[in-house]
Amino acid sequence: MARDGFEVAVNGINNNYKHSNGKSNGISAYSNGHKVNGAQSKVQSTKSTPTFKEHFEQTPLGVAIWTYLGYAILVVIGQIRDFLRSIGIEKIKSCTEPKLPGFVPLFQSWESFYTRNLYRRVRDCWNRPIGSVAWAEMDILERVSYDHGWNFELTGKKQRVLNLGSYNYLGFSQNEGPCADAVEDIVNKYGVGTCASRQEMGYLDLHRNLDILVAEYLGVEDAITVPMGFATNSMNMPLLVGKGCLILSDELNHASLILGSRLSGASIRTFKHNDMEDLEEKLRFAVAEGMPRTHRPWKKILIVVEGIYSMEGSIVRLPDIIQLKKKYKAYIYLDEAHSIGALGPHGKGVVDYFGLNPKDIDVMMGTFTKSFGAVGGYLGGSKNLVNHLRVSSHSAIYSGSMPPCVIQQVISSMKIMLGKDGTNEGKQRIDTLAWNTTYFRQRLVEMGFIVYGNEHSPVVPILLFMPGKISCLSRECLKRGLGIVVVGFPATPIIESRARFCLSAAHTKEMLDKALDILDEVGDLLKLKYSRLKRQPALAESDNKELKNGTRNSSVSTFADLCTLSMKIIKTL
Amino acid sequence: ITMNIGTATSEENPTHSYLGSRGIWITYVLILLITHFMLLTIPFFSVAVAWTLTNVVHCVITYFMLHVTKGTPWGTPEQGKARTQTQWEQIDFGQQFTPTKKFLTVVPVAIFFLASFYTKYDTTHFCINLIALGFSVIPKLPQLHGVRIFNINKW
Repeated sequence: MARDGFEVAVNGINNNYKHSNGKSNGISAYSNGHKVNGAQSKVQSTKSTPTFKEHFEQTPLGVAIWTYLGYAILVVIGQIRDFLRSIGIEKIKSCTEPKLPGFVPLFQSWESFYTRNLYRRVRDCWNRPIGSVAWAEMDILERVSYDHGWNFELTGKKQRVLNLGSYNYLGFSQNEGPCADAVEDIVNKYGVGTCASRQEMGYLDLHRNLDILVAEYLGVEDAITVPMGFATNSMNMPLLVGKGCLILSDELNHASLILGSRLSGASIRTFKHNDMEDLEEKLRFAVAEGMPRTHRPWKKILIVVEGIYSMEGSIVRLPDIIQLKKKYKAYIYLDEAHSIGALGPHGKGVVDYFGLNPKDIDVMMGTFTKSFGAVGGYLGGSKNLVNHLRVSSHSAIYSGSMPPCVIQQVISSMKIMLGKDGTNEGKQRIDTLAWNTTYFRQRLVEMGFIVYGNEHSPVVPILLFMPGKISCLSRECLKRGLGIVVVGFPATPIIESRARFCLSAAHTKEMLDKALDILDEVGDLLKLKYSRLKRQPALAESDNKELKNGTRNSSVSTFADLCTLSMKIIKTL
Repeated sequence: ITMNIGTATSEENPTHSYLGSRGIWITYVLILLITHFMLLTIPFFSVAVAWTLTNVVHCVITYFMLHVTKGTPWGTPEQGKARTQTQWEQIDFGQQFTPTKKFLTVVPVAIFFLASFYTKYDTTHFCINLIALGFSVIPKLPQLHGVRIFNINKW
């Protein structure tokens, strides 16, 4: 939790990152409004450490103001509509409750204000039903709404669109191929479900093989698998830490990690996203001061981070965290839900990407959902750790174990990735994904979109900012044959609504080009090319686009300077 | 119909920080200026009346938004922790003397000074403006954090 109100001298790591993403309160210290997050951080690692380039361009001030005005207008209109509903001029289409005297009301209509007035009108952009396997292309069932989003009807038609929304990094979500054939055989042999928990009769030899294979894939001593990805975190974190321990978790950790941390009963402190100086400050404070009132030393300090953060596209600074961990004798819990299979020259995740030793990470966790086309998660580490988990894990004792078909899907895909099936298809997939990532990001940046995240992460968020543009982008792209995921407030900060693309090894260059052309067209239509960075374009025709961006924003940047000056004056009050 | 808030990341309720995000103070002052100019264009109102009206309208709207409305306009996954808190109490997790809170306290005072000047310190206008200022500033005092007078607006 937030502000401890202490000042600790930081003299640990010698990296000079500047803070990413100007989220501070109206103060910005840069004239052209962008910060580069650690262009070359001086990490002490092996020579295979790639250059770490992460970028979160700051929201342009004019765009932010228009965004707030947009939300303000929507809220005012929503209030007017609610008022009309309350006096009876407009029909109430949401669920209501009878007003019984003496009873506390079940619903508070203010809590559904946003859903009723804002989300409902554009909710055709989410929860789209899909009528085929969610591969590089998919069939979307057409829906139409005659009452502005209250009710949908299926027209019966299907539209084949490009799929940039599914977490399908290695392209294993196929319904044909060696994985699917192996799964079919296993279903004939083992049936569909195990009908028991792992501690009773549900522990098949397949589970044992999977555990050994996952351990080999990660490079750790042993591993345990859990049938649900979310539950891997929420059910197993309470076994690792408890009362009297401290959890230092990143600001932007996933809800499963938050739930697991809460259920464990340990004290939780968050550090700023990917900010190693902040983490070191908090570590020093924790080690020096101990528990809040008694000042006894913490029993354990666990640093919880993710490999790739799916909303930002940023990659954790693992070498620095390992250095910090060794210096202050903490433990590290690495959640590789999005990075396993997607990063690294061998597809073994963020540890492979930085060229580090997997034995340095105390608990390696990940899921099979994103890269391996299955469900479930794993926890890997030392043999003692995994033995402890096997005996006391809530998911092992109480929930049903992983079905055999899912296990076989994971085993087949992992064997392909390890090269054990005899082909080099695994290596091909990894290389295709890496190439796709670089190409897509580079083209988007050249077009002038604001793209967040690390240059090597296959999760590519582009910023949209304004509420109207969120739904417009989604609908226009669908019209032209591209299915994307858009996210807005309140799931993201109010001035950072975005569209998030997930690249896949299944995408060919032609598909990416088609997607980029659609995005180019819609980006010009909606004026989404906000980036004000001066980049050296590879293509000559981008010169025109840069010039356009420069001239449009010259007046805004002086206004921005004026505003920052006035903010500084007010702040000193 | 349900939105997915706080399911992907740990940000459960953005109310604590959105009033400190980039450019929102400027937008606030801008909306205020626009409202004031709109009131000034109405031919029936003199300058003094327009200023007093701006002050009163600003006070009423911000009082309603910050000190009467409780909870959030979206369903949060944090199981109603903020349901009994007004928006002012939710800002910055209830910490006092943060930049956002300072700014939101300064704006009604600034409007009061300007309104007093433009109404030439006339007694009636002064009383109205003072009452508006009272309603704007007194609920923002740290001593009144979480206080419900006569249990009005408690649940």
